[in-house]
Amino acid sequence: MVTYIVRRLMLAVLTVWAISVLSFMIIHLPPGDYVTSYIASMSASGSAVSEGEAQALREQLGLDKPITVQYAKWMGLILQGNFGMAMEWGRPVSDVIGDRLTLTMVISVAAIIFTWGIALPIGIYSAVYPYSFLDYAFTFIGFIGLAIPGFLLALVVMYVGFAWFGANVGGLFSPDFIEAPWSMEKVWDLTKHLPIPAIVLGVAGTAQLIRIMRSNLLDELRKPYVMTARARGLPEYRVIMRYPVRVALNPFVSTIGYLLPYVVSGSIIVSLVLSLPTVGPLLLKALIAQDMFLAGTIILLLGVMTVIGTFISDLLLMWVDPRIRFGRE
Amino acid sequence: MKSMRSAFVPAGLALIAALAMGSGAAVAQSATPAPAKIGSSLIGKLEGPEIILDAKAFPKTFKEAPILAEQVKAGKLPAIDKRLPEPSQLFVVKPLRETGKYGGNWRRAFTGPADHENGNRINSLDKILTFDYTGTRIIPSLARDWKVSDDGKTTTIFLRKGSKWSDGKPFTADDFMFWYQEIYLNKNINPTPFFEFQINGKDGVMKKVDDYTVAFEFPEPYPFFVSQLAGSTAIGGGFATRGGFQNFGGAYAPAHYLKQFLPKFSSEEAVTKKAKDLGFDSWVSLLKNRYSWALNNELPVMTPWKTVSPINTPTWSMERNPYFWAVDTAGNQLPYIDRITMTLAENTEVANLRAIAGEYDIQERHMGLAKLPVFLENAKKGNYTVHLDPALNGSDATLHIGNAYEGDPEIAKFLKNKDFRHALSLGIDRDQLNEAFWLGVGTAGSIAPAPDTLYSPGPEWNKKYATLDLKQANELLDKVGLTKKDGEGYRLRTDGKGRLRLELVTVGGQFVPYTPVGEMIKQQWKKIGIDLDVKELERNLAFTRDNGNENQMITWANDGSEMIYLFPRHALPVDAAEAHMGMAYAKWYASRGAAGKKPEDPEMLRAFDLFREAFGASEENRVKNGKEIWRIAVEQMWSIGTVGQSPAVMGVRIVKNNMGNVPDRQVNAQHARTPHSSMPITFYFK
Repeated sequence: MVTYIVRRLMLAVLTVWAISVLSFMIIHLPPGDYVTSYIASMSASGSAVSEGEAQALREQLGLDKPITVQYAKWMGLILQGNFGMAMEWGRPVSDVIGDRLTLTMVISVAAIIFTWGIALPIGIYSAVYPYSFLDYAFTFIGFIGLAIPGFLLALVVMYVGFAWFGANVGGLFSPDFIEAPWSMEKVWDLTKHLPIPAIVLGVAGTAQLIRIMRSNLLDELRKPYVMTARARGLPEYRVIMRYPVRVALNPFVSTIGYLLPYVVSGSIIVSLVLSLPTVGPLLLKALIAQDMFLAGTIILLLGVMTVIGTFISDLLLMWVDPRIRFGRE
Repeated sequence: MKSMRSAFVPAGLALIAALAMGSGAAVAQSATPAPAKIGSSLIGKLEGPEIILDAKAFPKTFKEAPILAEQVKAGKLPAIDKRLPEPSQLFVVKPLRETGKYGGNWRRAFTGPADHENGNRINSLDKILTFDYTGTRIIPSLARDWKVSDDGKTTTIFLRKGSKWSDGKPFTADDFMFWYQEIYLNKNINPTPFFEFQINGKDGVMKKVDDYTVAFEFPEPYPFFVSQLAGSTAIGGGFATRGGFQNFGGAYAPAHYLKQFLPKFSSEEAVTKKAKDLGFDSWVSLLKNRYSWALNNELPVMTPWKTVSPINTPTWSMERNPYFWAVDTAGNQLPYIDRITMTLAENTEVANLRAIAGEYDIQERHMGLAKLPVFLENAKKGNYTVHLDPALNGSDATLHIGNAYEGDPEIAKFLKNKDFRHALSLGIDRDQLNEAFWLGVGTAGSIAPAPDTLYSPGPEWNKKYATLDLKQANELLDKVGLTKKDGEGYRLRTDGKGRLRLELVTVGGQFVPYTPVGEMIKQQWKKIGIDLDVKELERNLAFTRDNGNENQMITWANDGSEMIYLFPRHALPVDAAEAHMGMAYAKWYASRGAAGKKPEDPEMLRAFDLFREAFGASEENRVKNGKEIWRIAVEQMWSIGTVGQSPAVMGVRIVKNNMGNVPDRQVNAQHARTPHSSMPITFYFK
């Protein structure tokens, strides 16, 4: 078991390195560089960068050097625990991401809690009472949720909020609280703004999870051990919750690997539409601006999170499912 | 939301007719009073505050904002007389309508750290010289006066005695010399000299005459340098605007503060260590960060407001500079407004929706023309007024032709043919474009700037070759040899390789919907047998292809081109930073023939000569050359104009009804730094 974990760890390090090379290469794939993009964006907003300024910028940022040299510089910095400068922001990358990380995690966790809190009970109910009226009703609503793209729902919710409830448009705080230091009032203000993004982000995932839970549990409920348990007169609640639900949870555990990167990035498009100050829009803007250190670091971070998440879900699976644990040893 | 918007369309259409009529009258500033139509109420009279230059008319006693008076009382701030420059040296403004009231927080939208121009343009009074509210006259700003020597080689500026940085330290000629010697000439910080600080490729020098007098000397006559100091240039754009994000421009810097970040005043190791400790990769990166007023709230500035919460946080907020060197005619220190708070909108749709909800006090940036019907619909509820400020440039959606394109020899041959270009222009129905995409508020025409601008060759040039004439267009195309057509009526190539297909590159997500504009032109060109492919590319890719002369045609605005010498790149291919009309030619011009490719068109060479000559010429000759360049450009048609002089870019202004001294119409131009030319320091809350 220890050798298994060590082997997984070493593979993880190798994967992370490969991700760093790939992410750096991907950022360099589109034509032009940060300065081209800066000139274009200034021109689009009716301002100008002169040729001299453009050249000076390229030299200062080292963009005139070959890509290998730039990669080496970045790696050198990372090994020192520094991720380089976010060009568009004029600040160290770690500061820029750090500012947004906490709020991103708050939103993502709220969305996950919403998704699971709704999907699991409904999934279990639908499996236990398949083809009942409520099963159909939930399935219907769930499929609608799945079919509506998150950004569209966000737009509708935002417009309805503005037109009928006079709510602030987008964002996570009322204007009065954005700058205020953390206090109970500010937390309460955040709590009031949180449901909309959490619901919008969570709705699409909910339907999917309901279906997975329902079909897994249905499979399990048909198995002989369930019948045996029933025949021996175990109470219905224990019959269902004790084993079948636990087994049906397996797919959820194995998706934790994909949840972690989601927690740190949030959803890009929905965050953009709802104007949420999360890492998602940051990545999008960095990619558009070809701000390579910032975009590279975020992509690397997502990669690392995926790797760690997969590792954790491997461990969790071993713990949840004895069959895997014993199969390995 | 889309379906919601379509419900506004009928209302919008009703407006369009009214708007179209109103705009024509307003641009010409006709003397006849416009009838009471919605359009005429949206495009008002061009107006703005006057600057008092006669020291005899200056106020003698001074008043200050209550929040500053409290600080003076508490002993935290010197008295107002000690903070202002000497009374004869003040910047005195006569507010547009009345003396304002102190206080208030001006709420605006911004879209992130790349949007620094949002604040720069409010805070542009720290430019050495500037343009008045008409955008035509150069007036003093940071400098109280200027003088050009008779031989045109020396431009001297006079500073305001007793003016101070926002931390109270004196502002003198030494701050200019510090910038020149320690920043500008330091190759680690600024590797390349500024084009504006050179005449015919020869560097200028800066000299201190006395504590309040600075001279710029050039080896050859350079009378245009005064305009460079007033324009939005690297040298004259102001310390706040041109420092930090952009680079190290602005021609002066607070020596007393910035010395601590320069190796010369400590040691290379010390500044490098300081940078590493703060997470920066080099001392230059740290300097660049500390040099930016938007990022660094400790930086001393000469602007009316200074940053409190930096631009890289969810709110970019500013507060008044207690040492600001301007007063109104009643002696009240300016600005009137205490604070500016810009809230982050991750995308412009959110900014527009918030504006509709009445969450911004004055906002002209990021407001979309296409949303005009919705803005008007909600004006009462949101308690705001909508103003339209048409720009001065001729064409918002200009088809810039890749004159140096060589990818397909057959296409290249025709793009270089003047008659072919004229035919394309005559085949465009600009009125249809104007109605569809500018809601009728633009002006259909050529690339030439608005008739009342300095370098306009005359109103007839705005219409030249710029009206729909299918007959003439078809004749021209027959004449250039494109006589054969295929079954669908499209003209065939002369090299036998099928249909002649032109490609138009567009960029999405801009103020003007370039792609649908292109699609409509495609439909229109069908009638002259020209097949057009409209290809939407990501902005960066489109610009990179420009740099490689790979675009046959690209749609982009020609904004700024009305001041052809300050910002020539959208009128002539002379600037290697951005050249839609032939990067190879621009490189050739900028390098004086050392790189790039010499244009084959003798008229382009003539325009280049006229352009180059103007920088050393007298004002009279400069204007003459400018008009001639425009005549050549319209005649040769290196780019095709469609619809312009419109409020599409930063010209839709949402103003809450409780804001005072806000002009009905303000000049909307790059060199005027809209809304700076309307003097935001005189805006106030009623």
